[in-house]
Amino acid sequence: MKFDGVSKAYESTIVFDRFSLEIKEGTILSVVGPSGQGKTTLLHLASGLIQPDAGRVVRHPLEEGPVSYLFQEPRLIPSATVFRNVELPLRASEPCATVRAQIANHYLEMVGLSDSRALYPDQLSGGMRQRVAIARSFSHPSRLMLLDEPFQSLDIKLRYTLIEAFLTLWEESPKTTIFVTHDPKEAILLGDAVCCLGDPSGPLLYQTIDTPRKARSITDEQSLALEATLIGALLNA
Amino acid sequence: MRPVKHTLVVLLSAVLLLLLWQVGSWLLDSQILLPGLGPVFSTLTSIVAEGPFLTNVGATVTRAFQSFLIIVISASILGVLGGNYPLFNAAMQPFVTTLKAVPVMSVILLAFIWFTSGQVPLFSAFLMGFPVMYVQVEMGWRTLDPKLIEMCEIHEIRGWDRLISFTIPSLVPSLVTGARVSLSMVWKVVIAAEVLTVPRWGVGSRMQLSQVQLQTDRVLSWTLVAIALTAVGDLLFEGLVRLGRVAKVAIDKRRAG
Repeated sequence: MKFDGVSKAYESTIVFDRFSLEIKEGTILSVVGPSGQGKTTLLHLASGLIQPDAGRVVRHPLEEGPVSYLFQEPRLIPSATVFRNVELPLRASEPCATVRAQIANHYLEMVGLSDSRALYPDQLSGGMRQRVAIARSFSHPSRLMLLDEPFQSLDIKLRYTLIEAFLTLWEESPKTTIFVTHDPKEAILLGDAVCCLGDPSGPLLYQTIDTPRKARSITDEQSLALEATLIGALLNA
Repeated sequence: MRPVKHTLVVLLSAVLLLLLWQVGSWLLDSQILLPGLGPVFSTLTSIVAEGPFLTNVGATVTRAFQSFLIIVISASILGVLGGNYPLFNAAMQPFVTTLKAVPVMSVILLAFIWFTSGQVPLFSAFLMGFPVMYVQVEMGWRTLDPKLIEMCEIHEIRGWDRLISFTIPSLVPSLVTGARVSLSMVWKVVIAAEVLTVPRWGVGSRMQLSQVQLQTDRVLSWTLVAIALTAVGDLLFEGLVRLGRVAKVAIDKRRAG
């Protein structure tokens, strides 16, 4: 996916001004940046929810089609069961109910919610709800995934459990992913590359991470050094 | 323990009300002003045993049910249109505001000029109940969660699937509240219109004829019939709502395997 000379402004606020950025197909780009610097606008542009004032957002042929979106809050349909919430995004593309049920059950099993299929969102904890949202975003047959700080409001233990659940699913079916977060540690753990927004004309920092994801730890030297660089960029933004 | 306590308080309150009635009757000591519990209940028994009782009750129930059905269908359709299209809602506002403000009696009297006595209760109840239901549905539609709408759009949950899984369930609280308030209003307006227009059959007509002949016991008996009709109507409505919820949970469980 490529943002090619993209400009976007809201009234007098310029968010992007001939902004360019490239995300390699089938990889995760982590995006950090201070509030109001265009992180969510970047996702909205990528999803097609909004159009750029100038420039182009170009998708790789393998990324064409629907998009999966993991929001800050789970956004589950309250009157639908866990199963139905995960199965609904499949209905547009999969006519066979048995196949839909198999796919939905597979993802629910992957996030450890097989036994909660018949429950409603208000019967689940915050972490369980977000796991349903993760299962839903993977059950949706898309090649592009957008994550808008989905782990933000959770406690640290739950946060890392969910990151692990997310990565397990992602490794099973890798999709081009833009992961927006406030947390440099999360950005480093998940991303194949990290970038820091803060300048409308281009990223303040863009760095690829070569260490395989499974070999990474938030305490290893390379990660700590990258975290320090990211924090430095964030403070200067 | 709490529901038992609640029921006891309701029962005691009902007994107190009957007691006040009886004491009032003793104090006034007049069968025309306020007959006691005994004569009223014996009149009620004889009214129920009379042949035309069911015809009278049936006529009132039919009018109430018909106007309720017309209100629910028309206000739901127009309410959805109003919620979805602000201009349509703006066009509806003068009608809704006028109908909310106009006195019931004016509507009934005007309707009596335009329609036959049998149609007046139906028309009046519709005009009184419609704005309540319309406002509820319109507001319910307008306040559908925009974040969930965005989620549905992105995840391609559209058309029938969105309607059945998201839109209608989100509107159910507004529909139920609107229908509940409209229903209680419909009973009152239908009977009031029957009292004023005296169609051949109807609970209100019987009240009016009894009042003209100063048969207070019969007026009170028919009033008790009207209260019973409202209570049974409310119970049936609540039962239907509960049945709908249970059926939905059962269907959801079956789907989830």
